[in-house]
Amino acid sequence: MRFSLSFLTRTCGPVVALAVSTVAAAPESGTREDTGLKYWQWNEGGISLLVEQRLPDQTRAFFLARGFTSEAANVIGDGCVFKTDLRNPAAAGSVIDYDLSQWRVVVDGQRKPMMLKDQWDDRWKAMNLPSPPRIAFRWALLPNRQRLDPGDYNWGMSAFGFPAGQRFDLEFTWLRNGEERTGIFQNVECAPDVESLVPREGAL
Amino acid sequence: MRAPALLFACFVCIVPGLCLAGDDLRGRPLYEVKGRPPAPDFTLEDTEGEIHRLSEYRGRVVILNFWATWCPPCRDEMPSMQRAWKGLRERGIEMLAINVGEDEDIIFTFTADYPADYPLLLDREGTIIKEWPVLGLPTTFVIDREGRIAYRAVGGRDWEDPLVLEPLLKLAK
Repeated sequence: MRFSLSFLTRTCGPVVALAVSTVAAAPESGTREDTGLKYWQWNEGGISLLVEQRLPDQTRAFFLARGFTSEAANVIGDGCVFKTDLRNPAAAGSVIDYDLSQWRVVVDGQRKPMMLKDQWDDRWKAMNLPSPPRIAFRWALLPNRQRLDPGDYNWGMSAFGFPAGQRFDLEFTWLRNGEERTGIFQNVECAPDVESLVPREGAL
Repeated sequence: MRAPALLFACFVCIVPGLCLAGDDLRGRPLYEVKGRPPAPDFTLEDTEGEIHRLSEYRGRVVILNFWATWCPPCRDEMPSMQRAWKGLRERGIEMLAINVGEDEDIIFTFTADYPADYPLLLDREGTIIKEWPVLGLPTTFVIDREGRIAYRAVGGRDWEDPLVLEPLLKLAK
């Protein structure tokens, strides 16, 4: 592979080299065979990032078990929640920093920040949710910012606040040894609600 | 320097069925914390009703793990923590796991599937974790004999991996 890249660069010039570089950075996406849930995966620039759908019912059940009221559980269940797994796969020599406040979502042509823990917490306070479920919520979400040394990783939910089935682009940034890198997942899709997968009575 | 850790890992893994830690956790080192800042002290009750004060462990190496039952990477690393702890304890290394935001009932049910003989401390209101540089779960610190933070790991580790055991055993010498 190294030989062919080098060969292409020398013989066909920088245009081909750029094209090869773009292809190498393309994210992978697909559907889990066992669950039917969609995922988007990035393995470039010193990070491994996985964003994978969670069904609204999965999320409702998770937070109901942690003291959410059914009203609050429905809010987060309908909040376009993904499992997010961010890793520094390096064995040594690479430090990764990320800050979710710098990430952007693009939906219906509008580019805006992600919903983060504090905004969700404001909702829970407004709904008079007590402290224990709010604590569980804060720790269940991917940390807003973090430094990942070699071998470090973190897992958490990301809740975008869109309706079920909404499509959007996710622009993400990180620093690798202080140097900014960017990536994008296009056409990310909030999981459909289970209700929409089950034929309603009389619909057949 | 590597031989004791390798020998220890071999000893732990020699019992059939014990080497079940996920490959994913292998090869992930501990991160050495520069300057070794002092570990914030705390007093917490464990699931057995015993009180633990961190400063009372001074003179011993302590592995301090922040976790929750719902956290998949926490569940991934707990079996290897349990296995490693049996051997580490004999070498004067303590292990404390602070659960964040849950109660005894939830933990009791959880430990039926994930046995843990080391103390499981309860930070019910999440007040202690705020005093520590923890942003996500699990995060683990290794505290040296002088009560300073010597190593840190964000995310799960295989606690039987020589890469993890070696610095622990070196600290405990």
